[in-house]
Amino acid sequence: MVSLQIRLRGVSDKKVLNAMSQVPRHRFVPKELLSQAYADHPLPIGQGQTISQPYIVALMTEKLKLIGNERILEIGTGSGYQAAILAKVAKEVYTIEIKEKLYKKAESLLRSLGFSKIKTRHGDGYFGWPEAAPFDCIMITASIDHIPPPLLKQLKDGGRLILPLGNPFSYQHLSLVTKYDDEYTVKQITGVLFVPMTGHALDQNPRVTNDIP
Amino acid sequence: MILAAVFLLSLSSLALEVLLTRVFSISQWNHLSFMVISIALFGFAAAGTFLNIIDTQKKDWEKRLSSSGPVKIFIILYTVTAIGSFMVLNRIPLDYFRLPLEPVQIFYLLTAYLLLTLPFFFAGLVISLAYAFIPEKSGFVYFASMAGSACGAIIPFPFLPFLGEGRSIILAALIPLIIVPFEKPTTNKKHALTKNISRGKRFAFQVTCLFIVLMTGLLVSVEDGLEPKVKPSPYKDLSRFLQFPDTRIFETVTGLRGRFDSVHSPYTRFAPGLSLKFKDILPEQWVIYKDGDTPFFIYKQQLQKDEWFSKFTLPYAGYMLVPNPEHILLIQDGGGSGIPCAMASGACNITVVEQKPKIAHIVRNHYNIPVVNQNPRAFMAQSDKHYDIIHIENWGGSLPGSDALTQGYLFTTASFSEYLNHLTENGILIMARKLLLPPADSIRLWAGAYESLRSLEFENPERHIAVLRNWSTFTLIVSVRPFNDMTGLKDFARDMNFDLVYIPGITKEMVNRFNIFDAPYHFFEISRLAEAYRSGTEEAYFETYPLDVAPQSDSRPFPGRFLKWNRLKALYKITGSRFYSLFMSGEIVVCVVFLEALVIAVFLLMIPVFTIKKQDKKPNISLLLYFLAVGAGFMFLELFFIKKYIFIFGDPVISFTVVLTGILVFSGFGGCCSQRIGPGGLRYVLIALIAVLIFIFLGLDPMIHRILELSKILQYTLATLLLILPSFLVGLPFPLGMRFLLNRPAHRAYAWTANGCASVLTSIISAQIAISLGIPIIILCAAAAYLVALLMSNTKTIGQK
Repeated sequence: MVSLQIRLRGVSDKKVLNAMSQVPRHRFVPKELLSQAYADHPLPIGQGQTISQPYIVALMTEKLKLIGNERILEIGTGSGYQAAILAKVAKEVYTIEIKEKLYKKAESLLRSLGFSKIKTRHGDGYFGWPEAAPFDCIMITASIDHIPPPLLKQLKDGGRLILPLGNPFSYQHLSLVTKYDDEYTVKQITGVLFVPMTGHALDQNPRVTNDIP
Repeated sequence: MILAAVFLLSLSSLALEVLLTRVFSISQWNHLSFMVISIALFGFAAAGTFLNIIDTQKKDWEKRLSSSGPVKIFIILYTVTAIGSFMVLNRIPLDYFRLPLEPVQIFYLLTAYLLLTLPFFFAGLVISLAYAFIPEKSGFVYFASMAGSACGAIIPFPFLPFLGEGRSIILAALIPLIIVPFEKPTTNKKHALTKNISRGKRFAFQVTCLFIVLMTGLLVSVEDGLEPKVKPSPYKDLSRFLQFPDTRIFETVTGLRGRFDSVHSPYTRFAPGLSLKFKDILPEQWVIYKDGDTPFFIYKQQLQKDEWFSKFTLPYAGYMLVPNPEHILLIQDGGGSGIPCAMASGACNITVVEQKPKIAHIVRNHYNIPVVNQNPRAFMAQSDKHYDIIHIENWGGSLPGSDALTQGYLFTTASFSEYLNHLTENGILIMARKLLLPPADSIRLWAGAYESLRSLEFENPERHIAVLRNWSTFTLIVSVRPFNDMTGLKDFARDMNFDLVYIPGITKEMVNRFNIFDAPYHFFEISRLAEAYRSGTEEAYFETYPLDVAPQSDSRPFPGRFLKWNRLKALYKITGSRFYSLFMSGEIVVCVVFLEALVIAVFLLMIPVFTIKKQDKKPNISLLLYFLAVGAGFMFLELFFIKKYIFIFGDPVISFTVVLTGILVFSGFGGCCSQRIGPGGLRYVLIALIAVLIFIFLGLDPMIHRILELSKILQYTLATLLLILPSFLVGLPFPLGMRFLLNRPAHRAYAWTANGCASVLTSIISAQIAISLGIPIIILCAAAAYLVALLMSNTKTIGQK
């Protein structure tokens, strides 16, 4: 997976590549999809959510340019896989999930895998985690059509926020927001195209995939 | 009895068609309503083909089938299949977007298609039997069919608000049953259909009808029973939004103009074009969805500071240029963020023009501001008031491409001129839209503004236009006075971290600073276009650009359409070489439906040619062409007027209802009067019809513009009066052809098939003609079709009869 799907596509940060090698992705996918755990596409995890394609996980992590001492906020825990990868390359990870079932499942899994640097919360990620702010980096792992103001407020000066910006049924831009002295730049990294999918669609066909760059 | 059956089945099947169109508008998208039209007409056409096949197998089939008993059975089958197919359809896991990914979806699609065809097949069977069996009364059959259809076009609307789509469909399907229990005694022994059926059979029919009505009532009334509830597509904004916790629909209103769902959610956060400099929480909001899409947001502005956020939005750049505006005109088509902008500007008088009555009512009550519930173009045509700011807000549908076929008159060059003519001497026009990449809409609107300014004889039009963007939206600003000092706009953009795309004197260094693309694509293209206008080479620019971005006229008003068919391959590559991304485009869906319809039409028309052995019984090619041409001409005329009248009424549903009812009623009278016309009259009728159609092509536009300036009542009256002559004339060729050109019942059934097939193909192709060549070309196509009919109308065959 790492060499063929990730390194070949240009992800070169060794810390990220190591993390992708170390975290057992198969633990984060539903049992019935185990055989596809390392395939080059995302997988449904229930509740209308997905575990992202391995390459996208690596790319989003690399774009944050982590050196190891960062405190990171992740919005959208989902399966917990992205939080696990971040925990391997950063100091602390705070992750919020809006869907209670997913939150409980991810929390229990991350605890059982020994990810003590990850703090989980059930709630609306839109408002961030004010008690733990400010953060060096914020990652939103669900497509969103605007950048939540409360999250920008919780970003440190020089901080970076990465997210797939745009209509979930259109082309989205994986975008990197950088904050300098209360000025913001939004850089479009790459276009991503999401197969339209909802909870309803997922429940009916667990094989359909999304977020292919 | 058969005339009554024709009337009721026509009524019911057209009501079913209208209601299914509503269902598809909610459960899928508007462009899929083409599927409903094709399903209905194919059902009719298949009936004609079926009778041709029967003709090869059975003697005197027309007498047997058109007798009272079989007709009643067909009516019962119609009702059962209409209700049954709709209930099954609502439960099939058909997902149109998964078609390219899952082969099983093709099966679901075909099943849905076939099931929905069945009721129309049975309705078509009765109507074609009537034509085949009583040719001497073709005019009356035609009248019964058209009058029934006209009633069917309007009958769903009073019921929709009370019954909703599902129950209205069931009611419409039950209507024809009312004649089944009765038997009219008659002494006329000429026709088999007048034979009385036995008492036992009559009782059986009565029991069957009662059983169907009781069963349907039971199924509908049971809590969580089989009552079909129409759900919006899971890909529509509403369905996605309802997945958030504590999100609920608190009111649903169904009616003529669509289904409006009011939704409350703690997660409603709408502020398009919001600067990243805004750090506060957005005011509480709720939202109204039309047909599960096109949201309109209402802000709960309890405090003065609740409007504060709008000063951080991109469209507010236009408000910055008019420090103390007195009069603001807001034209809203979805969105809703323009109202807080206007309020935050401190304007004394704000007027909102909102076309949807439901939303107009809510906005008026919620914000306590004057709201004009009118077509914006009609409002502009009737008003001589001038405004400091005119703000147009329209963000399009949630799915790009889905509104490629949507007709809209807010962004045509003529609309720009109307806006500019209603601005004060320091006035500003603001247009806010989604930002597309590759650049498309921004180029078209810039060009539209430029051409409008040029036509109004402004010097250096480019000095009156500015464009700004953030990462997802852009705002076009047009000023009546030329932009001389750009400092204010530049400062606003810098302070809010917005990017300049175009201002007079812009340079490359000033763009792509905060919302960074790999290259400043929008700046490059608009600068190139400005240069093209300066050098007079704009036509070459539009020709070579990969998307259709030329400014649009009132004759070709499709603001969401950018596809160039000769650049499809390039578009496929740009969108990631994935089939489904093209599949999202309404225009491509229509093309796929057309190809599918063409295959089925050829199949239905070819079956009789191959199954009929004897040469003399085979359908005649010139007569086939005649009925194809007559079917095509009728549909071209109908669609031309539907599309034209959207300009007057603003709403496609109103236009559809007025035109369909008018054309069907007046053509029904035409059919009735055809009984008095002899065989020699057919050619004169066709010549007169072609002349009228050419006159409409040349003279309708100025009349429509005059009508727009009149009151609503006069608009409806004159629009209906204009339909009388062409509709009356198009009602003649089909029944006359049936009477004088054909001498075998099987041929009449075949003519019915040809008419149905031509109608399907024409209804689909008209959409493509309108978006590619313009709406007026459709009426020329109608004239051309009747010219073909004229050339093929050799009434000497009557002598052979």
